[in-house]
Amino acid sequence: MSTTATPALELSGIEMHYGFVRALDDIDFHVMPGEVVGLLGDNGAGKSTLLKVMSGAHRPSHGTIRVHGREHAFHAPSDAADAGVQMVYQDLSLVEPQDIAINLNLGQETLRKGPLGWLGFIDRKAMRRSSELELDRLGVRTAPMTRPVEMLSGGQRQVVALARSAIRVSGESRGILLLDEPTAALGYEQTRQVEALIRRMADQGIAIVVVTHDLPLCYEVTDRLVILNRGRKVADLPTAGADRDHVVGWITGSRASMFAEAAS
Amino acid sequence: MTTNSEATVAGPGGTTPAGPPPAPTPADQDMPRAVSVLVFLRDRGIFVLWGLLIVAFAFWCSPYFFKVDNALLIANAAALTALFAAGVGIGIMTGVLDLSLPGTAAVASCVCGWVLTHGHPTWLGLAAGLGTGVAVGVVNGLITIRGFNPIIVTIGTLSVLSGLAAVIAGGYTFPGLTQLEFMGTHRYLRAGDSFSGIPAPVFIVAGVFVVGTVFLTRTREGIRLMAVGGNAEAVRRAGIHADRYTVLGFVISGVLAALGGLVSTAVVTEANPNASPQIIFSALTAVALAGVALTGGRGSLPRVLVGALILATISNGLTIRGVQPYWATVCTGALLLASLLIERVIQASVSERLMAANLSVHQRKV
Ligand SMILES: Nc1ncnc2c1ncn2[C@@H]1O[C@H](COP(=O)(O)OP(=O)(O)OP(=O)(O)O)[C@@H](O)[C@H]1O
Ligand SMILES: [Mg+2]
Repeated sequence: MSTTATPALELSGIEMHYGFVRALDDIDFHVMPGEVVGLLGDNGAGKSTLLKVMSGAHRPSHGTIRVHGREHAFHAPSDAADAGVQMVYQDLSLVEPQDIAINLNLGQETLRKGPLGWLGFIDRKAMRRSSELELDRLGVRTAPMTRPVEMLSGGQRQVVALARSAIRVSGESRGILLLDEPTAALGYEQTRQVEALIRRMADQGIAIVVVTHDLPLCYEVTDRLVILNRGRKVADLPTAGADRDHVVGWITGSRASMFAEAAS
Repeated sequence: MTTNSEATVAGPGGTTPAGPPPAPTPADQDMPRAVSVLVFLRDRGIFVLWGLLIVAFAFWCSPYFFKVDNALLIANAAALTALFAAGVGIGIMTGVLDLSLPGTAAVASCVCGWVLTHGHPTWLGLAAGLGTGVAVGVVNGLITIRGFNPIIVTIGTLSVLSGLAAVIAGGYTFPGLTQLEFMGTHRYLRAGDSFSGIPAPVFIVAGVFVVGTVFLTRTREGIRLMAVGGNAEAVRRAGIHADRYTVLGFVISGVLAALGGLVSTAVVTEANPNASPQIIFSALTAVALAGVALTGGRGSLPRVLVGALILATISNGLTIRGVQPYWATVCTGALLLASLLIERVIQASVSERLMAANLSVHQRKV
């Protein structure tokens, strides 16, 4: 990695509290364009919280966020989206009663041409068509576009949520994609295919952070591992050559932090 | 390897660029027929119910019930309930239950009454009344988006508004507002002696429901409004200012409440400061009959309209037969409870069938 390159996303000194619970403690984190970083940690380690800070869903109590070297204060996910950050949430964040096309296009609906469009009428047909095209382009398949999300299986929902963010981020080469357990509900084959999608998007130059409990997936797709334990960063190392036992030790807390070792 | 299981992610196009594109998905063909029928019953059952009621009353109350004049009577009786039900219903669909409607209606009609009795033109009175509805909606909305429960907030504003209405009226009413007759008791499209004309409130209700339905299902803002009712946080995370839509939901229900207040004022040509809680109960009954889920994001205005029509039909039919009016409330209550049970049964059997269908797909493939 060249020293002159600017990270796509860089967080420094991030602290985050839920009431009195300190969920994140002085976290430094970065991801380069085209890099896939795996964010690991046990349940409740603070992975989702850190990702939500990056996506603008949460405001950190302390710390700064830089996107391509420029400092940003994200007040809402729309600010992060404007800066090119898209996130797939662990709870998927889909609108259950609406159909797949509406969910994919939420916030960037296609309006009809002519006077009806000026009145804000949407063009459902065009949205369905373009959504199908986008999904084909990503190599992703789900149910018919007119199916409400509440009638999808867990895996189908996950694919819809992933596709929504992937579509939004894949246009721009400077995009940043945050994935919170993107394969939790997927079977073996689908997981392999999401892996391929992640690699392909990284090859386009998109910076990707993926939270997962699936270590084999991590070794398969990530370039670097960052490990959290109880809200602190305990390890940050290249995936190639990372010892599995050490990684598991950092995740469970049985192994002392890399950074504590360095300090002592 | 699964080839037709739906949640598939096709081969990596980047590494194997010549990979065959997935075939276009057939629209909804994979849903079992029985499920479609059940879903139809769940979503359209209320229309069937209303049809059955009409047939039953047509025989039981023959020959007085099944007549054009009586139909107009029912439509007119349903009009006010329908207006308030539209307000409550849109509120619930967008995730806010607005209980301040009776207060909003009372203040709007008193503001209008005050303006008219002080010699100002009719349009100004109506505009002031509707403006009151907008203002109440904005206040309700701005308080709620600070993170307060809309039910508690609107109970508070209900109390404030009921008091304010009495203050504006100075303890009395505003009688003799005959200027408003054109939107009250007046009938339009009369054809000689054979047809006495359609009452004004029916036109107003028709307009409100057509515009409202088109807005909620065809326009961007309406669909976002419904989406906020379904999952406000998801909408926010999709980069939309969800709070604005919450305020918009309150403004719409405020305006509809004000309109309801103005129409009731017009019907009796008197502005009354008493906020009647009965309004909100019958509106909620119509909404509940329409199967609008209290959790938000679901429901349709045409069904709400039919809900209001069912209430009016029952009380009309029973009145024709000379049954005591309180039996009408007993009937509507029982009907509501029965519809809940039926919906539960249908929903359970939909899920069961969907699950069974998934399983069989699985077995066929493996
Ligand atoms: N909304 C919330 N309110 C209060 N505390 C919260 C909230 N969300 C998370 N926490 C707490 O913050 C800590 C970190 O939670 P977080 O969701 O980030 O964990 P995680 O690493 O994503 O875990 P998992 O692997 O189970 O998804 C936990 O102690 C959790 O209890
Ligand atoms: Mg999590």
